Amino acid sequence: MATRDGKEKAILLNNNLKILFYSNWIELFIRWLIGITFIYASYHKIVAPAYFAKIIYGYYLFPECIINLIAIILPYLELLSGIALILGIYPRSALLILEAMLFVFIVALSINLIRGYNFDCGCFSSGERGYGYSVLGLLVRDVIYFILGLQSLFYNKHRKWCILQSGSILKTI
Amino acid sequence: MPYKDIAKELIILLGFAVIAAFSVNYFSPNGIALFGQWDTSQGVITAKPKNDPVAESFEIKDANTAKEIYDTGKAVFVDARSYEAFVDGHIENAVSIPANQFFEFIDHFKTKYPFTIPVITYCSGRECNDSHELAQYLIGEGYANVKVFIDGYQRWKRKGYPVEQ
Repeated sequence: MATRDGKEKAILLNNNLKILFYSNWIELFIRWLIGITFIYASYHKIVAPAYFAKIIYGYYLFPECIINLIAIILPYLELLSGIALILGIYPRSALLILEAMLFVFIVALSINLIRGYNFDCGCFSSGERGYGYSVLGLLVRDVIYFILGLQSLFYNKHRKWCILQSGSILKTI
Repeated sequence: MPYKDIAKELIILLGFAVIAAFSVNYFSPNGIALFGQWDTSQGVITAKPKNDPVAESFEIKDANTAKEIYDTGKAVFVDARSYEAFVDGHIENAVSIPANQFFEFIDHFKTKYPFTIPVITYCSGRECNDSHELAQYLIGEGYANVKVFIDGYQRWKRKGYPVEQ
């Protein structure tokens, strides 16, 4: 009897998860949440690319020759992908870009967390421009966004309020 | 898998982003060079923005030279770090002008030190350009003989040179 109750609960939970996973409202919410977050995140980097370049340098992971190029291009990838998500222009590819970026951030932050690095140049610039977060806090935030983004990335039905529908990572609609 | 469709979408999105990025960077007053200076053995790190305060010609690149100037007793050393960092420890007899609070501190400094006095600015080291920013501010105020000790307080302290709290 107890086993049957357990099975019924598991089926119910499974169904509820499916409803959540296939809900176009949830998809819209996640898409807008990630879109708005990345548009906001791009702002500091766009207005102060020199300071952002210093933050990239502070990871001690990237070759010197690409630090400035990352600082120039990455904020616009965030901004345009964020706008594309909100307007619904090729949302799966915009998500693919942002999920790839989140993955790189997660790997970079994890490496520095393991190494015990927390870049502090002892200067005013990095602390005053909105970069004063803990590495662990950033890592947790990025992991949450990454997991949420997977729902939208694999969502293969008609998306709400999209200018250019594109389908999921697995199927074009 | 819809590889072709995704590839097309990615090319469009990435293309727009790259074009926008380089265009804005080129025209923006905050734009940076395509390649920065990120080798501390060469000097202070910088992304080389258009309004870059880092000027190599002002730099004192080794602690021994800075100590020789210090020993003459003719120059004033100015600490560009935060006031809290200054209180924690600084080069002996240095004066604090935090680079981000320059205009709060400069009037008092000007009453004590004439424009002709040699000024040596410093911050924490080669990963910090506050000393360069401070040097530019001081030059703007009329100080004619300003240099930047780029190895900063940490190197000075490691060398066992005089410090105080």
